[in-house]
Amino acid sequence: MSISFKVNGESHTVKIDDVNTPLLWVVRDILNLKGTKFGCGKAACGACTLHVDGEAVRSCSYAVKFVEGKEVTTIEGLGNKENPHPVQQAWIEEVVPQCGYCQPGFIMATAALLKKVPYPTDEDIDNNIINVCRCGTYYRMRKAIKRAAELSSENMETETQKS
Amino acid sequence: MVEKKKISRRKFLVRGGLGTAGVLAVGAYIFRNPIRRSILNMVNTMEMSYMGETKNPMVWFEILKNNTILLHSPKVEMGQGTFTSLAQMAADELEVPFDRVEVVHAATATGNIDGMSTGGSTSVSGLWQPLRELAATMREMIKVQAAVKLGVDIGSITVKEGMVSADGRSMTYAEVAEGVTEWPEVDVPKLKPVSSYKFVGKPIPRIDLEDKVFGTPMFGMDASAPNMLYGAVARPTKIGATFVSADTSKAAEMPGVVAVVEESDFVGVVAETYQQAENAKNAISIEWDAPNNLTTADIESMMTVGNGKSTIIQKEGDAIEENDDRVEVLEFRSPIGAHAQIEPNGVLASVEGDKVTITISTQVIGITRTEVAQRLGLDEENVNVIPTYLGGGFGRRLHTPHAVQAAVMSKAVGKPVKYFFTRKEEFQHDMFRPPTHHIVKGRLDPEGSLQSLEHHFVSGDVGNNSVLIPNFVPPILGADIGSIRGGFVQYTGVPNHRAVYWHVQLPFATSWWRSLGLLANTFAIESFMDHMAHKAGKNAMDFRMACIADDEMGKRLKATIMAAVEKAGYTEEVTNERAMGLAASVDAGTPCAQVAEVSIEDNEIVVHRVTVALDPGIAVNPDQVRAQCEGCVIMGMSAAMHEQMFVEEGELRPIIYGPYEMAFMKHAPKEIDVVLLQGIDRPGPVGEPPLGPIGAAVGNAVFRLTGKRLTKMPLRLP
Amino acid sequence: MKTQSILFLSLFLVAVLLWATTGRPIAPIYIEVPTDEETALSSEEAFHKMMDVLTHERCVNCHPSDNVPKQGDDSHPHYFGIGRGEHNSGYQATNCTTCHQTENNPYSGVPGAPEWSLAPHSMRWEGLNRFEIAESMMDPERNGGRTPEETLHHLTEHELVLWAWTPGVDAEGNLREPPPVPLDEYRGAVEKWFEEGHKIPSK
Repeated sequence: MSISFKVNGESHTVKIDDVNTPLLWVVRDILNLKGTKFGCGKAACGACTLHVDGEAVRSCSYAVKFVEGKEVTTIEGLGNKENPHPVQQAWIEEVVPQCGYCQPGFIMATAALLKKVPYPTDEDIDNNIINVCRCGTYYRMRKAIKRAAELSSENMETETQKS
Repeated sequence: MVEKKKISRRKFLVRGGLGTAGVLAVGAYIFRNPIRRSILNMVNTMEMSYMGETKNPMVWFEILKNNTILLHSPKVEMGQGTFTSLAQMAADELEVPFDRVEVVHAATATGNIDGMSTGGSTSVSGLWQPLRELAATMREMIKVQAAVKLGVDIGSITVKEGMVSADGRSMTYAEVAEGVTEWPEVDVPKLKPVSSYKFVGKPIPRIDLEDKVFGTPMFGMDASAPNMLYGAVARPTKIGATFVSADTSKAAEMPGVVAVVEESDFVGVVAETYQQAENAKNAISIEWDAPNNLTTADIESMMTVGNGKSTIIQKEGDAIEENDDRVEVLEFRSPIGAHAQIEPNGVLASVEGDKVTITISTQVIGITRTEVAQRLGLDEENVNVIPTYLGGGFGRRLHTPHAVQAAVMSKAVGKPVKYFFTRKEEFQHDMFRPPTHHIVKGRLDPEGSLQSLEHHFVSGDVGNNSVLIPNFVPPILGADIGSIRGGFVQYTGVPNHRAVYWHVQLPFATSWWRSLGLLANTFAIESFMDHMAHKAGKNAMDFRMACIADDEMGKRLKATIMAAVEKAGYTEEVTNERAMGLAASVDAGTPCAQVAEVSIEDNEIVVHRVTVALDPGIAVNPDQVRAQCEGCVIMGMSAAMHEQMFVEEGELRPIIYGPYEMAFMKHAPKEIDVVLLQGIDRPGPVGEPPLGPIGAAVGNAVFRLTGKRLTKMPLRLP
Repeated sequence: MKTQSILFLSLFLVAVLLWATTGRPIAPIYIEVPTDEETALSSEEAFHKMMDVLTHERCVNCHPSDNVPKQGDDSHPHYFGIGRGEHNSGYQATNCTTCHQTENNPYSGVPGAPEWSLAPHSMRWEGLNRFEIAESMMDPERNGGRTPEETLHHLTEHELVLWAWTPGVDAEGNLREPPPVPLDEYRGAVEKWFEEGHKIPSK
């Protein structure tokens, strides 16, 4: 069966026999985007978090058939070194990653949060950012999330001034 | 103990290659009987040294045509920021800008691998001397060669920022190296004073920072190859189960299955996709001989002081006598702990004829190569192990025999095979932190000074039965060098003190878990010290100070305790329904003190703020030392307050995050203050020592708040 | 009822004996299908059959009395600190659909159905007995203003409710337990109870 969807702005059509294959494996093995990680395969750790139509989704538990006609954003499409997403910029400023394996999932979850809640409180962060980081970077992450909120609002102000 | 190390001047390799300016500066680093020395060092709670290959010259540096220096790291980057610190050390001695140094994992084909492992918090401290000497030697070699090329006397050569200058002319290092095939031998120069370093000691952002934020670095799980297939290996769910027979007929017919691989010690399948391989594996019907239906209670009863073999590991003065009613006794327990690192153990193996390539997240590169070579009947030179970034190490990857299984499967199908553990397999086949039981005894004199202190404790294997420790070692040492970490009484100012270690063999594998015995041992000793301070009616800090000997380590320990107390504003009063707890430990030569500030909300312990004082000696990268302190506090809180593996009807459970409770964002303290001291003039271990005090610091704070002494990890209010 | 049980028991014993003596699979055994009249439930019986389902954890887990969904046959609080959120579907950015889709996921074991969410707080059932649940369910103040017809529809047609009979596998691939009454029987009982005027028996 063929499934068509956009990933990071580009259209893709994949042929796949098992339409229940998790989106994670399609993104990693067929589209070769390895930034989205496999951690548990049970939607428990959040390492595979990406966006489907702007919403955070744990892709190890998302059958590829559901993505037909939708837009997927992965860590590779969120921003790049020349034009980082505010969450990535904040992560750099606060020097968050240690081993780095869980970080794309956290960054994607945070980007989704800021879209819904531009200035998250500590409680919003505790409720929404529930991925697992074994190195224990939570302390810096919290600072980075707040910094990302500032950066996002600065960006918005700049854009408002431009227009 | 520290022997002057020398670079062999006889052996330098020269190699050209694409993108390389045509030179490699390499050296062999000579050591004396490194295994024995380091084990003894560990027994003395000293740090381990770098244990490099002793025989052959190795590639350390390449100079690329764009004047970038490529450092082939013998240590893997597990998250502790090692690559950054190594680059700082190299850049300073090489006289190149920091951003001109790139660090890559050395593959076994290039030779520069650590003889043992990445672990024990030794990467930066162990390479401190050798790496700087190698870098400085290479700088001198470049100067000599530049003098030849420029036709000047070496005395007129100056180097700065990757450039060589003399008589108003200058060349890049790459230009100096271009075309050179014979390099001069030079003496190892005197190293620069640490105070003159531009990069060492500065909080430089990690060199892998941006990559990790944009999702580009390669972990073992990300390895792929053309025509790659997926493998899966059936594993039992029960402890101690042994293979009896397998019916693979159904699996062989499953969609996508390329081969069923039946060996004497495992049954695997190879299929086109991950999911197909997993489906086929689940369709294999296996009979296991499962010998027991153990429970957590069975394990606890085995793991009780008095069982197994004992060794006195520390002894001063007299033992506490039985039936002395002046003696205080408390018992403590810690549970089985899982590594729970987020990247599962995984490997890509490619066997082509008699050549094997293994791409893997591992802490034991050399041992993995040896195991694969032996199983396939090949010379080690034919097996290239390419290490990657680790999605968490924590000791979980100090044995990675799944590389062997992947290699066998790859050989069977003639294509590259990727294989990794499911999360259930990861939890049930972890090499766990062993559970422990502790009896701590002490006696005060009439003035309230501690006269006697004894730590009796029992643990399962940590170092014993590990591939890192040769079989002949444990009988000689008499104690498991991992279990006893933190088990020594650090209060050697107490006139009568001793530590007695008991070893019990568990029916499942236990092994290295970040900081080894330190977390549980410190929890027991430091909770007891708090108890005794309270009994003596003394302030927890003053009480400890009086018990610490006035030797070098004692002075450093006192300084960290005082620094933590001062920074935290430590008080034994309950303020705004919050209380503080103090604890300290010495691990591998690095003292650490912590103060935790807690409250109780909905009968749960909430940790608001943790203050850490650490004396790691020279902090090569102070920001990353802080990051290690923060990470250790949170991982230690997770282990001390949340985590626990159970044994139910012979199975280790749970098998997934969630049921395996851990610290999440909401549990992490909102404030972590780190104070760094420098009590020695070299870098000491950093990646594990800050994990020691946190369990006791939290427990002691709960005692101040509630009057209840928590004696069991994970810490829960009754 | 009693005679039927004895009949079944005898048949079972015969079957066991046959199996034990011959070692072969037993021949099919035909039993007489009772007529409708014989099985017709009283309103009270229908009520209890319906409530056997509605008090099962497959239903009550998503009708919590606090703001925490429950999980599993032991109804433990949902892992990871998941909560009701403002719209009964989790928090702002991490909500039910972050993990739960419109179908069960056979690989992760994460259950799913359309409109996966908690029942609103007014419809809390956790901790109530079957009579209290029924009262709550029929009370427009608490049932979201549903008429009895709408409640009947929710109970028998709503896909999220019907998910209980196809609850899929858990994280280890083991089948979740469905409610104790087969779907058809449950539907019959619910319809019967509504037809008979949805009277809640006295406790």
